[in-house]
Amino acid sequence: MATTSTQYDQLQRQASNLSPADRLPLDSPYEISNELYDALRKVLHDVGGQPDTPVPFTEKGEEDWEMNTYLTCECLGWRGVWNSEERRRRENDLGATQYFGLPYYARWITVAAKALVDRGLITTDELGQKIDEVRTRLERKRS
Amino acid sequence: MSTTHSHAPLEESPLTEFEVLELAVRELAIEKGLFSADDHRRFSEWAEARTYTVGSRMTARSWLDPAFKERLLSNGTETSKEVGVDWLQPTGQGTPSDYTFFYVLENTPKVHNVIVCTLCSCYPRPVLGMSPDWYRTPNYRRRMVRWPRQVLAEFGLHLPPDVEVRVHDSNQKSRFMVMPMRPEGTDGWNEDQLAAIVTRDCLIGVALPRADVTASQVPKQPKGRSGGKKR
Repeated sequence: MATTSTQYDQLQRQASNLSPADRLPLDSPYEISNELYDALRKVLHDVGGQPDTPVPFTEKGEEDWEMNTYLTCECLGWRGVWNSEERRRRENDLGATQYFGLPYYARWITVAAKALVDRGLITTDELGQKIDEVRTRLERKRS
Repeated sequence: MSTTHSHAPLEESPLTEFEVLELAVRELAIEKGLFSADDHRRFSEWAEARTYTVGSRMTARSWLDPAFKERLLSNGTETSKEVGVDWLQPTGQGTPSDYTFFYVLENTPKVHNVIVCTLCSCYPRPVLGMSPDWYRTPNYRRRMVRWPRQVLAEFGLHLPPDVEVRVHDSNQKSRFMVMPMRPEGTDGWNEDQLAAIVTRDCLIGVALPRADVTASQVPKQPKGRSGGKKR
């Protein structure tokens, strides 16, 4: 029986999940080896050379929110609120779960919001209210 | 690649949290005077006009004009102006993410170049436009620097063992573009004809130009397989 592309995709997903799981319990141990200390200090974004399984390299144009995220982050840089080094550093500092778990531009816009809050340029209350307001407005527009 | 960013009717796409967050951040930033709506519009016009065809033009002209090629290889940033790209635009100080040194990497019969950004997603936007989605994936970043021949083969590019593969890791200070070799079957072609066969992938280094393949034959990108949706 020929393999359909759906079956191939499923196989691909399964294969990606087959990396050996060898996890050390990390519970603030009393002492650790020098090797583990080195490993723990490895920065998460420095992925060059890590083994991984082949995946399809798909083409996908920027969606509107993605292009707008790029533009908003660049405008914040242009007008001196932050620079691109800070944006990248903040993305790295999201931690591995969010760094690898969020879509590419979702990392950007997440850290842009955090940067404005951290600088005191907006408050979390203002952000929350604006998010509610925008969501209501867009939902009404699309219903 | 999508060089013109199309605006789909709103009803077509479901609302995503990221879209809401982006608009919220943008509106707050404008209300607080951090930047203006006009800044956003101006940057948008600049960004949406960026296209890899600038890189195609540079390559085609280099094939025809050895003096231009020499200038381009020795000072990519300055020579970009000859094809209409000033790396100081659109702000007068460059883009926040891209103002940097631009280097063109010449392929030879014995050396093939390819670009990656292992630490994030650096890419020469002023001359190639927005990077393809796969270029920014951890998978491409992980593997290209260590198993370039295998990754290139997945793109359909099989290089003979006697061709050295040089992988260039882009960063905040250095952006790269690959200048492929002029393919056979293009004798007597003019600059426009030559530029038409230099696709985006050729300029990244994951493909080689062929006389019978033009950029317009590259399949259009499907819009939004949606990294934005919650899955």
